[in-house]
Amino acid sequence: MINQTKSILFRGIRRAGVAAGAVGLAGLLCTSALAEGLGTASAPIEVRIVGNEAFVKAWQQTLVPEFNKEFPNINVVFDGVPYTELLAKMMLDATSPDPEYDILLVDDPWVPQLAQIGALKDLKGSEIAGMTSADYDWDDFNAAPLAAGAWDGVQYAVPVRSNVLLRFYNRKLYQEAGLPEPTPAQTWDEFFAEAPKLVRDTNGDGKDDVWAIDTYFVREPLTPTIWQSILNANGGSLLDDAGKPAFANEIGEKSLETHKRLLDYAPPGALGHGFSESLQAFRQGMVANMFNWGSVYKSTAVDPKSTTLTVDQVGIQVLPVGTASAGTHRGIWIAGVSSKTEETEASWAFLQWLTSKQGESINAALMGSFPARKSTLAGTPAEPWLGPVYATLQQAYEAAETGHMWRIRSPKSDAAQQILADEIARGLAGQASASEALSTAAGKIEKALR
Amino acid sequence: MSDVLAASPGSAKTRRNPLTRDLLVRWSFMLPAIILMVALLAYPIFYTLDISFSRFEITSFGAGEWVGLENYREVIADYRFWDSMKVTLIYLVFALPIQVALGFFIAYLINAPWAGRGLLRALFIIPMVVAPVVAGGMWRMILDPLWGILNYWLGLIGLGPLDWFGDANLAMAAVIIIDTWRWTPFIVLIATAAMLALPKDVFEAAKIDGCNWWSTLWSVAVPLLVPVIAATFVIRWLGAVKMFDIVLAATYGGPGKATGVVNLFIYEEAFRSLRFAEAAAMAVIVLVLTMVLTGIFLRGSRKLEEWF
Repeated sequence: MINQTKSILFRGIRRAGVAAGAVGLAGLLCTSALAEGLGTASAPIEVRIVGNEAFVKAWQQTLVPEFNKEFPNINVVFDGVPYTELLAKMMLDATSPDPEYDILLVDDPWVPQLAQIGALKDLKGSEIAGMTSADYDWDDFNAAPLAAGAWDGVQYAVPVRSNVLLRFYNRKLYQEAGLPEPTPAQTWDEFFAEAPKLVRDTNGDGKDDVWAIDTYFVREPLTPTIWQSILNANGGSLLDDAGKPAFANEIGEKSLETHKRLLDYAPPGALGHGFSESLQAFRQGMVANMFNWGSVYKSTAVDPKSTTLTVDQVGIQVLPVGTASAGTHRGIWIAGVSSKTEETEASWAFLQWLTSKQGESINAALMGSFPARKSTLAGTPAEPWLGPVYATLQQAYEAAETGHMWRIRSPKSDAAQQILADEIARGLAGQASASEALSTAAGKIEKALR
Repeated sequence: MSDVLAASPGSAKTRRNPLTRDLLVRWSFMLPAIILMVALLAYPIFYTLDISFSRFEITSFGAGEWVGLENYREVIADYRFWDSMKVTLIYLVFALPIQVALGFFIAYLINAPWAGRGLLRALFIIPMVVAPVVAGGMWRMILDPLWGILNYWLGLIGLGPLDWFGDANLAMAAVIIIDTWRWTPFIVLIATAAMLALPKDVFEAAKIDGCNWWSTLWSVAVPLLVPVIAATFVIRWLGAVKMFDIVLAATYGGPGKATGVVNLFIYEEAFRSLRFAEAAAMAVIVLVLTMVLTGIFLRGSRKLEEWF
């Protein structure tokens, strides 16, 4: 803490460029020279990272001490920002003449936007390559998560907290309904054939109290990812090879109807449900299935503080199979080095450690973060419950890579996603037909991406 | 004194100097406030205006190439903007009269002297000091069809369950209920103060003339309160037209677009879609419309005062 405070003071003085007296200036220059690179005990380096407040506080408390065992002279400080304000804050910081942050921890679709304004360094460029350890194995990353950090042929960021949309199911509710446990090969038709049996009155009061499914239905940017995973599983895609919307067709409409049909077997009020509500319903044993981000597995099946369920009760697999493949959707948190940082070596040292085989294993074991490396996924997991999760994760990465199951890669991706959120919400709420909603979305997205 | 001034050729100058000095001193006192006003109010408005007529440069986070009315044309052609304006209008048409009527009615009911009146007034302040996002989140829990307490209570009397966030009309009703819960106490406080200031002899005369409770309210209290009601309406209108945070916390603008008020749309366009120029154009349109309507309401309130 003292070191951290000293470092903050030191950096503030240095960045402000205040003209000091001759003696003070000499001392400052001397300290500055020592502080280059990875820091020293007397002149530690501070690396500031901006990221999602949902998890960076825990990283600060748990991962940073692990990192400091190897790099004791680099003080890593995380700043948590609410997700909805994070991109705007990053853009504002990155465009200022003297940015506050050395590392940007960004969501999957944001790399093109940040790359376009020159906010991130090329991690495979000569500068960073010279600082990269010889045993840092780029080829060991699964292609889908690594691609989240790339744009226009340049690797701007590396996966630090991988995630994919997965299907969680409650084994007990399947057994009670007299149904066999679902498999990754289950199709959408088979899913809907079973769904009515999973909506039941368990206490005999004449009212249903368990339902078949809960997931994203609310009007928000992540809701279209469910529709898109169905679209991709049916062989459809968001954009064609020319970069124009390609979803306003029969496949897109059928996929939106499938998403809407889920509401027939969801709890009352599900049209207002998103991440938290579906998670809450599943953890309380009220729904037999949940389509949500895989990273919630630990808090859903393992941690008794947050769930009523146990590992034995919770199954995990990819989303049901469409006409082409199983469904999923990539959602990777990636981190890149700010192009204006004065602490390139220290920043990359932290990212390199965090995404190395060793760091990734520590992150997975301590934080439950999903790894992106094939070796980590194929290796012995830190906890037994991670075994089936890693197997599913590997399967989902491969499906995502094959079906291009990710959001639009463009500097305007957020605008496109917001348009999809608006129109998918209208379609789900019955305020527009699937055809009308998707045609409107296609027209607006084509204009937005120009 | 006039002799002295007439006798001295430089007297006019010497007399102006103190005046100029006085003027300078006065302006120097006002200058910090003017600078603050310009920095905090005028600058953001001019910045918004500037980027609304320009292409937004994300690299400099400011106005780039001048594009004239292009952003305005884009906004006017966007059905989502007009949908959000319509939703805002629906909310205002229901919420404002309900809050003003309810506020004055409650104030009238609690105006009689009784022991717990002070405590009740103090309790009325609570909803106002709750942050709108907290209020929205809290009511979201109360109204939730699956876990909420309200549906449970309604179930006890054989009603419901009501899908507050899945049905378009109920979602709008939920937003109005939450907003009314927050802001009616504000109107009650104003109305109570206004009622306490009303001349008592008029009410005594009405009582002597045999007016009942209703005719006293309708024929005596309401006409006397019209100026205050009109002013309260304008104040509340200016607050209500900014509706954003309750919707963001409670319904996210849904289901579909049923509660997507214009400020939420502007926020999403700016900070989620990063379409700052178009969002600025929308903000300017809303600002102009608000100013025009406020002017009309103020004029209307003056007319009402004249009539009563």
